[in-house]
Amino acid sequence: MFQVKAHVLLKEQIAPGIYTLRFFCREIASRAKPGQFIHVKCGENRNFILRRPFSIHRILGPDTFEILFKVVGKGTSCLAQLHPHEILDIIGPMGNGFTIDDGLKSTILVAGGMGIAPLVSLIEEIDLQRIRLYILQGAATRERLLYFMYLKRIARKIFLATEDGSIGHKGLVTDLLHVAIKECKPDCIYACGPEEMLKEVAEISSEFEIPAQVSMERRMGCGIGACLSCVCETRDGYKRVCVDGPVFDATEIVW
Amino acid sequence: MKPDLSIDLAGIKMKNPVMNASGPFGCGWEYAQFIDLSKLGAIVVKSITLKEQRGNPPPRMCETASGILNSIGLQNKGVDRFVQEDLPYLRNYNVPIIVNVAGGTIDEYVAVCDRLNHVHGISGIELNISCPNVKKGGAIFGSSSRSASKVVTEVRRVTNLPLIVKLTPNVTDIVKIARSVEIAGADGVSLINTLLGMCIDVETFRPELASIIGGLSGPAIKPIAIRMVWQVAQAIDIPIIGMGGIASVKDAIEFFLAGATAIAIGTANLINPQITIEIIRGLEKFLEEKGFEAIWEIVGKVKID
Ligand SMILES: Cc1cc2nc3c(=O)[nH]c(=O)nc-3n(C[C@H](O)[C@H](O)[C@H](O)COP(=O)(O)OP(=O)(O)OC[C@H]3O[C@@H](n4cnc5c(N)ncnc54)[C@H](O)[C@@H]3O)c2cc1C
Ligand SMILES: Cc1cc2nc3c(=O)[nH]c(=O)nc-3n(C[C@H](O)[C@H](O)[C@H](O)COP(=O)(O)O)c2cc1C
Ligand code: FES
Repeated sequence: MFQVKAHVLLKEQIAPGIYTLRFFCREIASRAKPGQFIHVKCGENRNFILRRPFSIHRILGPDTFEILFKVVGKGTSCLAQLHPHEILDIIGPMGNGFTIDDGLKSTILVAGGMGIAPLVSLIEEIDLQRIRLYILQGAATRERLLYFMYLKRIARKIFLATEDGSIGHKGLVTDLLHVAIKECKPDCIYACGPEEMLKEVAEISSEFEIPAQVSMERRMGCGIGACLSCVCETRDGYKRVCVDGPVFDATEIVW
Repeated sequence: MKPDLSIDLAGIKMKNPVMNASGPFGCGWEYAQFIDLSKLGAIVVKSITLKEQRGNPPPRMCETASGILNSIGLQNKGVDRFVQEDLPYLRNYNVPIIVNVAGGTIDEYVAVCDRLNHVHGISGIELNISCPNVKKGGAIFGSSSRSASKVVTEVRRVTNLPLIVKLTPNVTDIVKIARSVEIAGADGVSLINTLLGMCIDVETFRPELASIIGGLSGPAIKPIAIRMVWQVAQAIDIPIIGMGGIASVKDAIEFFLAGATAIAIGTANLINPQITIEIIRGLEKFLEEKGFEAIWEIVGKVKID
């Protein structure tokens, strides 16, 4: 893990209130794995003091990587005002990341809202390894289905759900999971999104006895495993999302 | 000549007066990725209890203006596993180890301290009679002079290690409590622990922490901590470890001026894992620039007419 002053190369708005930030940072880019995250000091502001965690969104090469974020509050508002060439204090890569088992042939990715953020780097890895890829993507509205065209191109099939019904199934993305599993016969499911969604994914995947990896979210302090503020309940007691996760086997979590 | 940062804290010889505050630093090893732990004045480990403790349910932390509210609740693996698993690793560093001890009953405090008597490599005990995050014991002991003095007296009987007592600010008169633990045999005091606080999420109408109430720390509490260190320093003769909101060299210097012999940094580690080392360097530079030869020259030197 490294604490680095990283250069911002690019900031891009990809949807209302949603941005990507590209960093030049060899220490992190050359070591990052899909599912890991960085801990960002979003600005010098005494109103909020903690760092903010963001998933590694895309690894573009040995020196550059991106995060994808949505403006929800103080820290993310600061990030949205950054300009290229500014410098941010970041720590990473943090957490365990997703595991891609040897011999994996077919997989379903379930992305809810901003849950797409870590899954894009995973998708690129899965694509490299020529594993059959199916995607279930859900969001509030059609505009919030990020990277939809790209995902459609890269996946064998994409299943869509929007809460307002503006495209795809009207309702939750997990409503589609039964059908998708029967059709795609995955060896493994990867999911990131709201906790309610992850819980559903855990239930359905255990019904079909398919292993699932879910990326959990908690408010974080140190992000390095020391302060014990980010715990979630597992079958072996409390575990730290920042270092024991954020990716957990779905059967491990006590929902 | 480089200024002399070394101190003798209640019999513990330290190469500088900067340590971590118990809790946010765990047992230190996570921070070894960022700093050389042997450069610290001392390492203070997270509170240890007799038996393993699960701690409180999440969410355990939320952010407030210039601070954080936590309700970790003494999650730890118990004294035996600490001695077997963590201490051997910590002993590799050439740095005094201070073990922070907590308990729900006087017997528990005594049992943990007794257990630590028989192990090699511990330089001192910090008795946490001030944790706000446990229902039984904890802050209860620290909130009256009688119970504070009782637990210190009993622990004093079983340990010859330097005994530092960590006080809670959630009392009407911290000076009185400090005096009573000094009389009961404490070799030093640490102050302050966190201040009780509460936050409510206005979207859900629920408290932000699962435990409803938590402990406030960080820059928000620094003026309170400085005030308490100053008041206590007037009243007792044993050394003070000052803490509460230290995030810069200037903050640290304020504590020395108020009367602290050493300082500890908690919350700021979460934001900058290298903060302890930066403050050690900054102190040295400050003393040099101001023409002081040793850190003790500024202890308690706030000018009051
Ligand atoms: C491991 C991990 C990876 C993450 N990856 C991403 C990512 O790739 N992209 C992204 O946009 N976000 C991600 N998040 C969430 C992100 O950290 C929060 O959105 C961010 O901290 C909000 O900061 P803020 O200062 O803008 O909000 P604040 O001003 O702190 O809060 C504003 C609102 O957001 C809510 N909120 C704040 N933090 C969180 C959180 N951690 N989880 C849920 N709700 C929160 C608060 O309850 C409040 O209602 C991740 C979180 C974790 C734990
Ligand atoms: C996350 C967290 C955990 C803590 N855990 C302990 C603990 O286990 N024992 C203890 O004596 N104090 C504990 N404290 C209190 C700190 O040691 C310190 O007294 C207090 O936070 C004030 O200093 P600060 O503002 O620099 O953090 C904890 C504080 C925080 C923020
Ligand atoms: S955030 Fe500190 S232990 Fe996870």
